[in-house]
Amino acid sequence: MAKVELERVWKIYEGKVEAVKDATFTIEDKEFVVLLGPSGCGKTTTLRMIAGLEEITRGTLKIDGKVMNDVEPKDRDIAMVFQNYALYPHMTVYDNMAFGLKLRKFPKDEIDRRVKEAAKILGIEELLDRKPRQLSGGQRQRVAVGRAIVRDPKVFLFDEPLSNLDAKLRVQMRSELKKLHHRLEATIVYVTHDQIEAMTMANKIIVMKSGVIQQIGTPHEIYNKPANTFVAGFIGSPAMNFVDSKIIQDNGLWIKSSGLKLKIPKQFEEQLEEYVDKNVIFGIRPENIYDKMFAMAPVEGENTAAVMVDVVEPLGSETILHLVAGDDRLVAVVDPKTEAKEEQKIDIVFDMNVMHIFDKETGKAIL
Amino acid sequence: MRKKNLVIGISVVAPSIIAIAIFVYGFITWTLRVSFSNWNSFSALLRGEYKFVGLRNYIRLFQDTRFQTDLWNTLFFTLFFLFGTIALGIIMAILVDKGLKGSRLFQNLFLFPMAISFVVTGTVWSWIFAPGNLPNNPQGLNLLFQKLGLDNLMWGWYTSTDSLGHFNLALIPVIIAAVWQLSGYTMAMYLAGLRGIPNDIIEAAKVDGASEWKIFWRVKMPLLTPITLSALIILGHISLKIFDLVFAMTGSGPNFVTDVPAIYMFELTFRSNRYAMGSAIAIIMLLFVAIVIVPYLFSSMRGEKR
Repeated sequence: MAKVELERVWKIYEGKVEAVKDATFTIEDKEFVVLLGPSGCGKTTTLRMIAGLEEITRGTLKIDGKVMNDVEPKDRDIAMVFQNYALYPHMTVYDNMAFGLKLRKFPKDEIDRRVKEAAKILGIEELLDRKPRQLSGGQRQRVAVGRAIVRDPKVFLFDEPLSNLDAKLRVQMRSELKKLHHRLEATIVYVTHDQIEAMTMANKIIVMKSGVIQQIGTPHEIYNKPANTFVAGFIGSPAMNFVDSKIIQDNGLWIKSSGLKLKIPKQFEEQLEEYVDKNVIFGIRPENIYDKMFAMAPVEGENTAAVMVDVVEPLGSETILHLVAGDDRLVAVVDPKTEAKEEQKIDIVFDMNVMHIFDKETGKAIL
Repeated sequence: MRKKNLVIGISVVAPSIIAIAIFVYGFITWTLRVSFSNWNSFSALLRGEYKFVGLRNYIRLFQDTRFQTDLWNTLFFTLFFLFGTIALGIIMAILVDKGLKGSRLFQNLFLFPMAISFVVTGTVWSWIFAPGNLPNNPQGLNLLFQKLGLDNLMWGWYTSTDSLGHFNLALIPVIIAAVWQLSGYTMAMYLAGLRGIPNDIIEAAKVDGASEWKIFWRVKMPLLTPITLSALIILGHISLKIFDLVFAMTGSGPNFVTDVPAIYMFELTFRSNRYAMGSAIAIIMLLFVAIVIVPYLFSSMRGEKR
């Protein structure tokens, strides 16, 4: 097992398309790192550069302290699980898993031992004689994972491995991969566009957009301390509310927008002093807006607003409200017992202790 | 409504079914019948001397040294022709598939000979390989060899009566011409096959530790098996029935060194009016081709059912 380091790595296609720009990060030994971002953000390209399937245009890639830029994929001691599984159609499950070991000239009984052990871990022992086309999607996925684990590589690379599975199977495989990570104590780099996969499995998330790393942090940090509006909006569902506002001074600091006037808690005042009378973006997560009747945040009159309900979406365990306040539109996730009705007014409460303020120009987090 | 559809359906396919029944299966049956008869001269037929002689024509054929030579020639021609077209086709497909600059041009260039008639190919290659009067007055390739000072490479080409065991060396120029003509076709088949292999399988093999060479033999070739099989069948039946190329290029050659069953059949039937013997050769050729094709048809039918 090993450490992976990227230093100022660039990928430029045909001298102009910049797929990955100046990526620098370290993946520690035994860490489960997720590269997260929308499609076309460069996450898969980054993974493929680690695998050696894409050339690195500039910068350095090290695995275990050794520079790997010009090392062939086969000599990097990595294993990869592909989005479409990429099983060899002409080989049985057993041979699919054994192929890498055969190429590395492992003794036959060792191959046999490893394949059977991996099959046992993944619960595919009875499928070893089958061909990939006789397997379901979930089974193929397991074989693809098995092919990676028999090799016992330094680093596992996963390229959106769950995106072709149905929702139920995805939840199941998610927890299995997490367990597998603990069991194998493996270093894993995992690419996905699914924030739930990232949040549930990762030790560390690297959020990317348009080839640029936006933020690196634990799931907790990414969720609670997003570095900019992109990360804040990408993580969390429904997405964070962004309201164009101004910070004003009126016996303390306030957030003022077209439909809201909310008191900023004392502890943030110092940080926001220089932004007084400036335009900012006020961010608040839907779950931090409450129906006043079921408020979990202190109700002080200075963090409430009377707003119009536009749409009510009851989900059973919670209810999503689409709200209108002046020109501002808000989404709130509230208690399912809410009595909010469409086209009626409702009093809502903001938990201002978890609010976010972003720079209007750069989108960077101020708070 | 369903009945009407059925009527329309039947009336649409009926003409071709009837035509095939008469002109293919009817005539095969007729040929089979003739091959068991003594119809070996037209005048004999006019005199009403048409009787069944059982397997006599077949027995005669297999005792005939010319026909024996034909069978050996067909065997060697088929082996080398199949090997040559497939090997060359794969090599060209791999080169073109690399996507290097100008590969598109070469792809068309390689495929082009297929568009030319065998008769044209045969004629042109017969000029190229025409030996001339050795050793003093060479032609074609031999002339080139002489100019280059490679005199010992000069030989009789398709006029040579040398042989290695049962393999007549005069077949070599014919094989070269046939390979030249059809290897572009196998290239096209393999190229389609190669492009159909998902890229991530190749990448998976790279990550698994396979070299280019191993990827080719352990991943690509097994996935191209259906292509190879199709190529074997298609080229195999062309090769077993080959006529026009050989006829235009060399004919039977001295001592029948480049003779093939189709030429013998043609000469027996239309030059000597020995219809029964010609029919017997036709039936034997049909059986050879059937041996190649019938298992393929069965397996592809089974595949369709699945």
